[in-house]
Amino acid sequence: MMSMADIQIALPLLILAIGALITLICGAIGRKQTTGYLIAVIAAVGAGLWSMQTPPALLAPGLGLSASGLTRLFSAYFCFMAAAVLLFSHSYNRYRDIAGEEYPATILFATFGMVALASATNLLLLFLGLEAMTFGFYILAAIDREQDVSSEAGLKYLLMGALSAAFLAFGIGLLYCVRGSLGISEIMQTTLAATVRDPIALAGWGCLLIGMAFKLSLVPAHLWTPDVYEAAPPPVVAFLSGGSKAAAVLLMVVLLVHVAELGTLRVPLFGLALLSMLVGNMAALRQNRVRRMLAYSSIAQMGYGVVALVSIQGHGLQAAAFYAIGYGIMSLAAFGAIGVLEANGCGAELDDYRGRGFTQPVASGALAISLFALAGIPPTVGFTGKFLIFAAAIRTGENALAILGILTAAVSIYYYLRLVAALYLQRGAAEQTESISINDTVLLALSCVLIILLGIFPAQLLDFLKIQLL
Amino acid sequence: MTSLPVLSLLIVLPLAGALALIALRKQENVAKYLAVGIAVVELFIACWTWSAAGQQPPGALPGFFLFEDFSWIDSLGIRFTLGMDGISLLLVIMTALLTIIAMLVSWRTIRQRTVLHYILLLVMESSIIGVFLALDLFLFYLFWEVMLIPMFFLIGIYGHGRNIYSAIKFFVVTLVGSLLMLLAIIGLYVIHGRQSGLYTFGLSGLLGTSLDPLVGLWLYGAFLLSFAIKFPLVPLHTWLPDAHTDASTAGSIDLAGLLLKTGAYGLIRFGYPLFPEAARTLTPLLTIMAVAGILYSSWIAFAQKDMKRLVAYSSIGHMGFIALGIAAWTPVALSGSVLQMVSHGVTTSALFALVGMLASRANTREISAYGGLWGKVPILACFFMLFAMASAGLPGLNNFVGEFLILTGSYQVAQSATILAFLGLILSLVYTVRLVQEVLFQKERQPLPMLDVTGREALILAVLAIGVFYIGLHPGPLLDVLHLPVALLTGGTP
Repeated sequence: MMSMADIQIALPLLILAIGALITLICGAIGRKQTTGYLIAVIAAVGAGLWSMQTPPALLAPGLGLSASGLTRLFSAYFCFMAAAVLLFSHSYNRYRDIAGEEYPATILFATFGMVALASATNLLLLFLGLEAMTFGFYILAAIDREQDVSSEAGLKYLLMGALSAAFLAFGIGLLYCVRGSLGISEIMQTTLAATVRDPIALAGWGCLLIGMAFKLSLVPAHLWTPDVYEAAPPPVVAFLSGGSKAAAVLLMVVLLVHVAELGTLRVPLFGLALLSMLVGNMAALRQNRVRRMLAYSSIAQMGYGVVALVSIQGHGLQAAAFYAIGYGIMSLAAFGAIGVLEANGCGAELDDYRGRGFTQPVASGALAISLFALAGIPPTVGFTGKFLIFAAAIRTGENALAILGILTAAVSIYYYLRLVAALYLQRGAAEQTESISINDTVLLALSCVLIILLGIFPAQLLDFLKIQLL
Repeated sequence: MTSLPVLSLLIVLPLAGALALIALRKQENVAKYLAVGIAVVELFIACWTWSAAGQQPPGALPGFFLFEDFSWIDSLGIRFTLGMDGISLLLVIMTALLTIIAMLVSWRTIRQRTVLHYILLLVMESSIIGVFLALDLFLFYLFWEVMLIPMFFLIGIYGHGRNIYSAIKFFVVTLVGSLLMLLAIIGLYVIHGRQSGLYTFGLSGLLGTSLDPLVGLWLYGAFLLSFAIKFPLVPLHTWLPDAHTDASTAGSIDLAGLLLKTGAYGLIRFGYPLFPEAARTLTPLLTIMAVAGILYSSWIAFAQKDMKRLVAYSSIGHMGFIALGIAAWTPVALSGSVLQMVSHGVTTSALFALVGMLASRANTREISAYGGLWGKVPILACFFMLFAMASAGLPGLNNFVGEFLILTGSYQVAQSATILAFLGLILSLVYTVRLVQEVLFQKERQPLPMLDVTGREALILAVLAIGVFYIGLHPGPLLDVLHLPVALLTGGTP
């Protein structure tokens, strides 16, 4: 029997699911594009606002849902991210002729998955949330049907995603076998301690890590990333970076917060972080297509996120959670801006971006700010996030990882600057003009302000995370 | 002095000005005057802070006569701490002055994206003053990196030639060193936190952290690398000539006059005080790089055909002297180094401004294209002569004082290095005389369109000339204000 408190805790999920259904129904009745987006945005914002409220209880045991501060922070973040993505999509999809109410509905379903994941207190719900989210992205990645590469990328993502889902499910099953319980805190305490030498637990964690490596696009499970980033609509890519990957980081944080040290997980995570930073940054150097470059950059950025996870004893989890949110905002600004630029006729190559800094100031400005942020230049959230990560690494004693990380970060600056240089230092065709809708302008400005504000005044968010992740 | 947060104001005012300029981007003339107006007000505020010299506000490190401390990111031990002592004072005044000069120099020459140019100059001013005032290592690092962004655009947008290559090279090379310094800062923070239980980035807290000699060497090494790249010390200097060659005149003034000083300042403010032992161990390395820089740059300068490149290399030589004075770390040499930082800012900016003026008339910077300017444009030639001689270290002019103090001060501790540096001084006289001879007195080689200075140009050069004579003939007040901080730093009795 659901109590009133249970309903209040589950309400964001309900709003999202019902909102998605209404969107679909409205699409079937009237063929007006904007209605679906409007309903979806209202649902997302509503769910986000509700998440920010103080809940009647921190747990809904009957539902397996939590309403802890961390849950609510990330639920609100996912919902607002979804709303922003929907608004960006509205103008981009008109440009690409991506019609239909299934698009906003799918975004809401994916958000539903993310919020479910953020609220989960047992591994089963966690898995369901993760897969509900990924299922949405299978569709979204291939939604641009006019493009041949789109379906190719979607198929690649689907196949590898299905494989990783199998690994995840199997890993969760194995962990269940060890303890006979699906509760996160119990499983973590009994399967990860340094004294545990249970091969089944090890195998379970191995499978879980493989699945997570796919979601986070860590090397060597990164191969889908460049294709999807290139073929999917930019707002979807923003959602993938800022939503799906943030959710995966959050999942790791939620799991690891129950243990004091990593034990057997340290070595594989160390390797994943190192490989992702190296391969991601080196491969990005060689790209001439902007979206591919940012895809490899995202692989590297997730490598930094894993550095934070490895540095668990030096407040690494706070750094990881902070970085996940920060990276999401940076991606939103970057891919939002790329969407606007592409709708204004900008091609995929680096050379197509030449000179747009002065002819399309709004989108280029947002792109440049997010690139500086991704490169980790202050005063941006990218700098503060990297700073927290490296501070956590050094505090934990992971000096080698910190030094290699910072050297690869130095390399990465080159390719980010190449794009900034193309935007502002090179001359482009004369006939470029900018037409940008008001909501795109507002959203880009807002995300840039957030990038800088969170860079200069991170204290509040950090203190909040510190309390939540003690 | 009042309780007005004047140091924060020094940082915020140019930034606020830059924001206002964004709003005014359609009205170029208004924006230009507003920018100069803000820069002038900034200079007045900077000079006004001198009146506080001698005070000792509560909570400040000794020697700092202005001190501001605000809560910022408390959970990490990061505070917004600013402080001004004699060293910061002179450098801040120089920054404010050279920003005005850079604005006036580009008054007519920058015709496209004008407003953005002034915005960048203001952001640059704000971040460099931030570097000179920050007493929290996190804050210092923040400004340290922020200043690269306006410089990148100044070279890249308003430069010429291979400006994009130079801008990216500048940014990447200087950042590589900085990032390692960031790790060293964090390392020091963690070690200090473990020792004392107090995690802080404040300079006053971190001073006196006892370090394992090897760890100290690594941390200091990272600091030194970052500072040496900014300096730039040979062999880490390769980004500078390219950056100068391709930058606009204002860009070069900001680069040579302001940005290079941050490296020397960082070494004085953070490098030596935080790692005294490691710094002493690596002093021979710093001395060798300094002397190598002096000799090498003079030699290379002699071979330059491009006037601007010549000034750029001479600038590396002068920075070598500054490094020599820091390496000696005696009160006399260190005062000389700080004074030389200001002097170098004045003379090099003047020379870059002159090169810019000549190039805008004749459309070339080849030394061999010029000749006979002494008769054709007497006022311009006079200024040229004055600043060239000042740069070569003629007694009575500004560079002489600093170089003299550096050589005197370092002779006590490093005789052979000082003698070699003195030889470098002679070499620099040789190439300067050659430059003056070829440009001013050589028979005119080809008819070049030459007009004498305009009123604006005369104003720029006259202001800088006053600086040259003032420091050269009456350095007393400057040395007085440096006396206390330098004595405290070198461990002597004030």
